[in-house]
Amino acid sequence: MHAPKRNRITAGLLAIGLTASLAACSSGNPLGGDGNDSLGSITIGSQGFAESDILAQLYGQALAAGGYTVDYAPGIGSRETFIPALQDGSIDLIPDYAGNLLYGADPKATAASTADVMEALPAALEPLGLVVSTAAEAQDADSLVVTKEFAEANSLVTIADLKPIASKITIGANTEFEGRSYGREGLEKVYGVKGWKFKAIDDYGGPGTLSDLLSGAIQVADIYTTTPSIKQNDLVVLEDPKHLIAAQNIVPLFNKDAYSVRVANIIDQISNKLTTEELMSLNEISAGDSKPSPEKVAKDWLTQMGLI
Amino acid sequence: MQWLWDNRDLVLGLTLEHVRLSILPIIVGFIVCIPLGWVATRNRVARSVLLSLGGILFTIPSLALFVALPVILGTKILSDINVIVTLTIYAIAMMIRGAADAFASVSTSVLQSATAVGYSAFSRFWSVELPLAGPVLLANLRVVSVSTVSLLSVAALIGKGGLGYLFLNGYQRDFPTEVAIGIVFILLIALAFDLVLVALGRILLPWAHTVFPRLRARPVADAVAAS
Amino acid sequence: MNFFAEAFAWIFDPAHFAMVNGIWPRTVDHLFYTAVTMLIAMVIAIPLGLLIGHTGRGRNLVIVTTSAARALPTLGFLLFIILFSGLGLWPFVIVMVVLAVPPLLAGVYSGLEGVDRQTIDAARAVGMSEWQIIGRVEIPLALPLILGGIRSSVLQVIATATIAGYVGLTGLGRFLIEGLALRDYTLAIVGAILVAVLALAVDGLLALIQRLVVPRGVSRGMARTISTRSRRPTRLPAMTVAPIKEG
Repeated sequence: MHAPKRNRITAGLLAIGLTASLAACSSGNPLGGDGNDSLGSITIGSQGFAESDILAQLYGQALAAGGYTVDYAPGIGSRETFIPALQDGSIDLIPDYAGNLLYGADPKATAASTADVMEALPAALEPLGLVVSTAAEAQDADSLVVTKEFAEANSLVTIADLKPIASKITIGANTEFEGRSYGREGLEKVYGVKGWKFKAIDDYGGPGTLSDLLSGAIQVADIYTTTPSIKQNDLVVLEDPKHLIAAQNIVPLFNKDAYSVRVANIIDQISNKLTTEELMSLNEISAGDSKPSPEKVAKDWLTQMGLI
Repeated sequence: MQWLWDNRDLVLGLTLEHVRLSILPIIVGFIVCIPLGWVATRNRVARSVLLSLGGILFTIPSLALFVALPVILGTKILSDINVIVTLTIYAIAMMIRGAADAFASVSTSVLQSATAVGYSAFSRFWSVELPLAGPVLLANLRVVSVSTVSLLSVAALIGKGGLGYLFLNGYQRDFPTEVAIGIVFILLIALAFDLVLVALGRILLPWAHTVFPRLRARPVADAVAAS
Repeated sequence: MNFFAEAFAWIFDPAHFAMVNGIWPRTVDHLFYTAVTMLIAMVIAIPLGLLIGHTGRGRNLVIVTTSAARALPTLGFLLFIILFSGLGLWPFVIVMVVLAVPPLLAGVYSGLEGVDRQTIDAARAVGMSEWQIIGRVEIPLALPLILGGIRSSVLQVIATATIAGYVGLTGLGRFLIEGLALRDYTLAIVGAILVAVLALAVDGLLALIQRLVVPRGVSRGMARTISTRSRRPTRLPAMTVAPIKEG
């Protein structure tokens, strides 16, 4: 009587086990790994906001067209996370921002202009086992942004103008802002802006930060200069005459072992054509009505530029 | 809808990733809980240790485990293993009490009869205890399955969250449709898993669906009757 | 494992207790979010659960909606709402309430369903009104499961309220998020430990209350059903009040 029942259960467990091992098998590269015709495989990371996803796709599609097998690891997070991911080989390449990269690798750095930052980078990255290739002309920097009304009411033009009202304002930015060179310490030392409150909003200057700025919950927000919402909402970017925030050109950041001249040459072609205007337009397309995927935004641009 | 069609490759890829990352924790959690639940029924100390351990593990925020595991296991930061192990731990934490209840629901007299007609301890487990515990195990597994599919999306914050990617990407672009599509597809995966489990239950436990509606505990009423 | 030693050292450093953004103010915030959520969730779930449990109507509807609510990914739902409402306490509380209601509802109506029909018929026969039956018979007898539902719900809310720190609010989740953003493992572990300890402490407190308020005869019955081997099949887990992991 009990034999068939047992078989049924055993069969069931077997079926479950089989599903499990199938699932385990499929966890490798679904595209079948390195074929003979591939030059090798490259995993490209991105940082957790739309622009970074688009840049990763630009690199990836160009490399795929150049004969590499490309995997993506989108949305890894802040620099504190993706640097270790580069070092342990989880990813080989990620688009980054030159100034923040330099100050992250070497907190005592002093470079501000593009040329100085790019000159200082290789030495700062050497001990980390990382290298960069040519920077794009395109820049996307953190910037301190206020509403037009607030700027007019307090006659704000530069960051230094925040000094007299500093104790009455709240600055909204990602959590890591407070620990960064251009965060609390930099604002105090470089511009004497002291005593402000901080509100952590971890969306990289996204919709939450924007709605808080417009509603007055915060008075100053850290929003990237290429973000379409700045233009759309008539926001005022406070000038930075003392170069608190260093030049933030887009640079491809590699794990040293994954770097080759051949790969760098392919990506250089993108960097050579990527201006700040082009980058802003990529962001506008991405945030536009049809909300295309980063993959499509990148593909259209590469095609238009004759790169694939 | 237009967006969904235009981005079908993206959504499909993420859906497959979501299924791939959530299926193993559900299966492994279930398999691990069977012996643990069985032990918990037999030993009061083991029971209280296992249940309290489950309770403590349960309260640890998932984000902490997703990030701490590479340090603890020595795995790569973006390895699938971190996510799979984290979800497996929660699956066990959620399932352990149910598994113990399932084996406790098999009545002692049935077990004694089985022994009396000559079952060895081993065959009694496979032929009597496990099948009789089956309906309660299955019901618990369904809860674990739904929860695991949903919980995986939190791992999007570390870049490994399957459809959870659409939450962050849609949010940053101020695009509720994309977020909603992520939610709907997660609900669909949870539903699909649930239907598979129900179907497996029908095949493996054909007697259960007739027993189910009548199976109703009256612990409180019993107590009143007893007092 | 050194991180754990450092994390405990951090927690027991008195300087970290009362400071701005220290352990105490963030614990208070965390408990405040939990209390607001639970209050609203109980106002919704307890009357509804009593109605369904007493009349026996709408049971299937509740099972379907509670499983759907369980499958709803908290993070996605929260971000979806914020896109319409902006940041703030209320969008967060709404999401938490949706999370808190299913175990509460399940606790109340399965508690009422477990009451023997004969007991209720007897109460009716001695002339009790429907309200009296609910108040004097069904609720006291269902109390263990109702309180069990409240405990599950609170546990789930405390563990999940860590995401408040991600959307511009505070609470203990901030330690975790700061730790992650800055790759400060010690701080991240501090956050995880504090959330777990708070959850277990509140759960322990509720367990104590449960022991004190449940009528003696009823609690004796419960003690038997949670013994290692009861004679009876336990309640159907489809209606369990077990908490599920959401955050």
